[in-house]
Amino acid sequence: MSRSFITLKPGLQTCVQELPGRIGFLEQGFPLSGPFDSWSFRQANLLVGNDRDAAALECQFVGPTLKLDADCLVAVTGGDMRPTLDGSPIPMWTTVAAAAGQELALGAAMTGARAYIAISGGIATEPVLGSRAVFHQAGVGGRALVPGQVTQLGDATADTTVWTIPEESRPEFSRDKTWVIEALAGPNDDWLSPETVQTFFSADWKVQAKSSRTGIRLTGPEFAFSERATNKNADHGQDPSNIIDHGYPMGAVNLAGQTPIILVNDAPSTGGFINPFTVASAAFWKLAQAKPGEVLRFRRIDLDEAGVLRAALDMVTRPEVLQRA
Amino acid sequence: MLYDALRFYPGGDRAVEVELGDGMDFTINFIVHRLVAAVRQAQIAAIQDLIPELASFQVNYDPDVMSYEDLCAEISQIYQQLGRGVTGSLPSRLITIPVLYYDDETTACIDAYRKSYPDKVPDPELVCELNGLHDRAALKRRHSGTEYWVAALGFWPGLCSLLPLRPQCRIIAPKYNPPRTHTPKGAIGIGGALTCIYPDATPGGYQLIGHTPAPTYDGAQRLPDFKDSLALFRAGDRVRFAPVGAEEYRDIQARVAEGTYRHDIIDYQVFSVDLYLDWAKAQEAAA
Repeated sequence: MSRSFITLKPGLQTCVQELPGRIGFLEQGFPLSGPFDSWSFRQANLLVGNDRDAAALECQFVGPTLKLDADCLVAVTGGDMRPTLDGSPIPMWTTVAAAAGQELALGAAMTGARAYIAISGGIATEPVLGSRAVFHQAGVGGRALVPGQVTQLGDATADTTVWTIPEESRPEFSRDKTWVIEALAGPNDDWLSPETVQTFFSADWKVQAKSSRTGIRLTGPEFAFSERATNKNADHGQDPSNIIDHGYPMGAVNLAGQTPIILVNDAPSTGGFINPFTVASAAFWKLAQAKPGEVLRFRRIDLDEAGVLRAALDMVTRPEVLQRA
Repeated sequence: MLYDALRFYPGGDRAVEVELGDGMDFTINFIVHRLVAAVRQAQIAAIQDLIPELASFQVNYDPDVMSYEDLCAEISQIYQQLGRGVTGSLPSRLITIPVLYYDDETTACIDAYRKSYPDKVPDPELVCELNGLHDRAALKRRHSGTEYWVAALGFWPGLCSLLPLRPQCRIIAPKYNPPRTHTPKGAIGIGGALTCIYPDATPGGYQLIGHTPAPTYDGAQRLPDFKDSLALFRAGDRVRFAPVGAEEYRDIQARVAEGTYRHDIIDYQVFSVDLYLDWAKAQEAAA
C-alpha cells in the first residue's frame, strides 16, 4: 500500500534531503546538496528506524504543516520549531507515533535555524542523478514543498519502539549567539598577507541576513593580500581576490572582493574567486544552525584534528546512541 | 606556464586543489584533462568527485579511506608516469550553437543594468573597444570565426567555459563589477578569455553579446539530445557559433517549445592535439 503525506503549509523553504548528496556530478556543475546539518538529520532518521542517510525533510527558519495519510513514526530534530501533532506539543529528539489523518505542524525556529523531520520508511521521491537531495534553485531532484503537494513515503518496518536521543549526544546550540567554528587554512591562504590570516582566526564574523543553503555571508575586518594576489598573471582577473576559475570545496571561505562567503551544500562547484580557508566537515552543522546576526569565531585546526572531530560526529550519529524513552 | 611539478593545496578535510600551471590556455587545460582521465582510470576508492578546471583540478575524497598525503603521492605518481608532453588524439564532438548576436533580450538585460550603473559602457561596445574591433559586425565575425574547446563545466549545472582554438579569435573582457543579479537563459557572454552560454536564468558577470534559442541544459530531459544527460556539453567537446537571423531564431524557438529541436552534434571526429598545436603555431606566425 502506498504511503504519503500532503503539504498543507510549506514553511519557508522545506526540501527533501538525503545523504551523501549528489556525488559524481560536480564536474557538470551540480552541487552536492544534502542536509546542511547532517548531525540532526541522521539522528532524526535513527529515531524512526530508518537508515541514518535516508531521505527526510529539512526545514529552514519556519517549518511546514503536513497531513499524514498513514500510521507512521515521526521524529523532529535540529532547531527548536515547537512541533505539534493535531495541535498538541510533541517532544523533539524523540520518536512519536502518529496516526493516519493527523497533522504535524512546525513553527518558527526558537533556537537554531534548521529542523529535520524524519518519517518511518523515508521519503520516496524519484532520485535524480543518483540522489533524492533537492537543489531548490535549479529544481534538481524537485523544489521546496508547495501547498497541496503529495509526497510518497517508502515502506516502513513494523517496529514501533519509541526512542530518544539523550541530551549529551545532541548537537549543542550556542546560548550566547556565538559559535566556534573549526577551520583549516587553505587552499588559497597564500594569497592573503600573514597578518590577515591571523586576523581571520581571531576576529568576530557576523552572519549576514543574505545567507542561505548556497552561502553564509560574513561581515568583519578588511582583508589584505599577498604578492601572489597583487602581482599575478593577467589571466586571473583584475581584483586581488580573482583567480583563474578553479574548483570550490564545500565549506570553503570564498572571498569575492572584500566579502567572505562560506560555500555550503548548494554552492557553485567552481568559480573565479580565491578560497583562503575551509571549514572542517565536522563543523558544517554549526553553519546550518547559526542565525543571521550571530557571530562566528574560527578556530584553526589541522587535518589530524579534523579527523578526530569527524570520528566523534560519526559516533553520535550511530544507532548505539538511541535510548528507550 | 606549466609548473615543473604538481602543487597541492588542502581544501578542508575532504578536498584537494591540484594546480598544474598558471595561465588560461589550451595546453595546460589539455594536460589537466589528461591527468584527470588517468586519475579516474586508476579507480582510487577514496575519490568521490573530480572537477577539472582551466589550470587545476579539485579532488573530493573520503579521508577515512585514504589520507591527504597518500592521495597526493598517488596523484603525483600518476602524473610522473603520464609525463608532461602534449600529444595524442581524442574523440571530440563538434556542436554547433545558433546565435542571434545583439538580440533584444540580452540588450534589455544590459539596459536594465545601466539604469543602476549609467557609467557602464554597453557590453558589445566595451568588448569592441578593448579588442581593437571597429564595430559590432567585426566582433560578430571574430567571435563566430573559430571553434571553441570546452575547457570546463561548473558554477551552475551545464555552464561551460569555452576557450577559442583559433589564436587570432581570442577576445578578452572584464567581468561586471558588481555582478548582474539576472542573466537571461541562453545568453552568450565573454569574461576574461572565455566565452560562456548561460544554461539557465542566473546571476552573472560576463559581457553579453548575443543569445541562443538552443538549450544547453534541460532539467526535465524533454528534448531528444538530453536523453542521456541533463547538460549538453562535456569537457573536450568543441563548439562553433553559427550566426542566425531573427526568422531562423524564432523558428528554432518554436521547435524547442514543441520538443522537436535537434542539436547539430557531429560525433565522428577525432581531435589531434599535435596537428592542432602545429596549426595554431602557424596561424600565430602568419598573423
